[in-house]
Amino acid sequence: MNYYLRRLAVAIATVLISSSLVFFAIRILPGDPVMMLLGESAATPEVIARMAERLGMDAPLHVQYFRWLTDLLQLDFGTSIGTGLPVANELIKRLPRSLELMAGGILVSLSIGIPLGVVAARRPDSFIGNAASVLALIGLSAPTFVKGLILIIIFSITLGLLPSSGFTPFTQDPVANLRNLILPSLTLGLGFAGVVQRITRASLAETLGKDYVRTVRAKGVSENASVYRHALPNAMIPVIAVVGIRIGSMLGGMVVIENLFNWPGLSSYLIEACYARDYPAIQACLVVIFFVFSLVSLSMDVLMGIINPRRRDV
Amino acid sequence: MSDSSLTFTRQSDWRVWFAIPVLAVAGLFALLGEWIAPYSVTGYDYTAILSSPTAAHWFGTDELGRDILSRLIIASRTSVAVALGATLFAAITGSLIGLLVSYIGGRLEAAVSSAADIFIALPDIFFAILVMSLVAPNPTILTITIGIIYMPQFTKIVSAMVQSARHADYVTAARSMGASGTRIIFSDILPNILPIIVVKFTLTISSALLLEASLSFLGLGAPPPNTSWGQMVGSLKPYIYNNPWPIVFPSLMIFFVIMAVNVLGDWFQDYVNPEVRR
Repeated sequence: MNYYLRRLAVAIATVLISSSLVFFAIRILPGDPVMMLLGESAATPEVIARMAERLGMDAPLHVQYFRWLTDLLQLDFGTSIGTGLPVANELIKRLPRSLELMAGGILVSLSIGIPLGVVAARRPDSFIGNAASVLALIGLSAPTFVKGLILIIIFSITLGLLPSSGFTPFTQDPVANLRNLILPSLTLGLGFAGVVQRITRASLAETLGKDYVRTVRAKGVSENASVYRHALPNAMIPVIAVVGIRIGSMLGGMVVIENLFNWPGLSSYLIEACYARDYPAIQACLVVIFFVFSLVSLSMDVLMGIINPRRRDV
Repeated sequence: MSDSSLTFTRQSDWRVWFAIPVLAVAGLFALLGEWIAPYSVTGYDYTAILSSPTAAHWFGTDELGRDILSRLIIASRTSVAVALGATLFAAITGSLIGLLVSYIGGRLEAAVSSAADIFIALPDIFFAILVMSLVAPNPTILTITIGIIYMPQFTKIVSAMVQSARHADYVTAARSMGASGTRIIFSDILPNILPIIVVKFTLTISSALLLEASLSFLGLGAPPPNTSWGQMVGSLKPYIYNNPWPIVFPSLMIFFVIMAVNVLGDWFQDYVNPEVRR
């Protein structure tokens, strides 16, 4: 089968399987959402029946499942228990904010990780090369909230330079929006900068040892040009692949970051919905998150197929 | 050659000498808990609320005037027990399922392996969040949930390794001597793949520590009176502008323990698999 079709099939299967898991987990696991919402005391049979109906949990399981799937295909994500409004409204408002944070995180990780990786690959035994590798290890090992707290303590509390929480829409005040974005993106990006540094270092060191680079150098091309124009573009292929593979853990990290910095994105909605036991909202958030995950992974796969045609044969 | 092996020895020493003391401290805290904590968990000191480190409170106090060091020591038990328990659960059930499906082989093995692939790729925290919002969480449920989340990783790694071992010479030899399938799996293949499982085990402990800390930080871990490092960080977060000191210590604790486990896993990987090391 064609490479792209196969990737598409995997992406669709991932969305379908993961969201079905969410659907069945809510209904089959020992905790009963209806009882969790009502509490033991108020639970007269009519109240229970009414709540089950409101949650759409009054029909047999397979009926519920197909109703839920067809609603989903029409982008109907159900109604929030807390607000009584369609969950979709909230999702549409919050999705761009999460994507903005994600883009910020990727930008930070690439713009820190690639230069540090290049330095470590070109001067493996120098002080700066070693320092780059140690920094990468620390960035990798520190839990997200520890990195975020350190950044808050340094840049907001001690230096008073940047806000530690909140969100301003870009359309309303672009500068305030970006100032709010800096610390969360740094927190998200620093860990991945460590990964990017490691891969860049390993991949560039390998590429620099290849025959074609030797030929380029032998032809008298300057050292900088042979590294940046000839070796680096090829060495970037594994880096892009790793960014694709890491999208999942990036989404996971965003849960903590959005909470820590009060960034009103999808994951904060998920956590708020968990506190309120707003099951339609929890379910919808998870489906959208898994959808974003699969879509981004799929685009990375497509991108990899375009840059590196050999991959399509595998 | 002698040169590179020298660097390796030095490196491994650095990693071991960093990891062992950190993990020993965490282990002692978890085991001895209330016997070595200088104050009791309920030792409220209303004269010192959110204090910075002092002679009386080395790591400062929290928003109720409780000693941070004591709480850190007592919280170690939940953090360590949940992470270790979850990893054990994942390793044992995951490996057994892996052995079983690769023993049966065929379509089942392919199906389980693709399902595991999809599950492994998904971010781990979301299923944990989902389960924690459905049940009244306690440390046991938390442990099993985290264990189930990491189970497919062991299933995948074990079935992949059994598959590649199937045609190894020692397995062919055992088979030609008339050994049964179960015997080959348990007394020939398993001992050979055990080191890889141990490496995976170590790295999974660090993931489990991180996942438990993140959930507890979000308020979705085991509820009070259970304390864990992540829960301490989460509950001190609102007071960070009043005094950033108290939150620093539980954060550093999580950081050092996770780093120690990672570094140890890294070292062990080089140890069992010397040809991979640079």
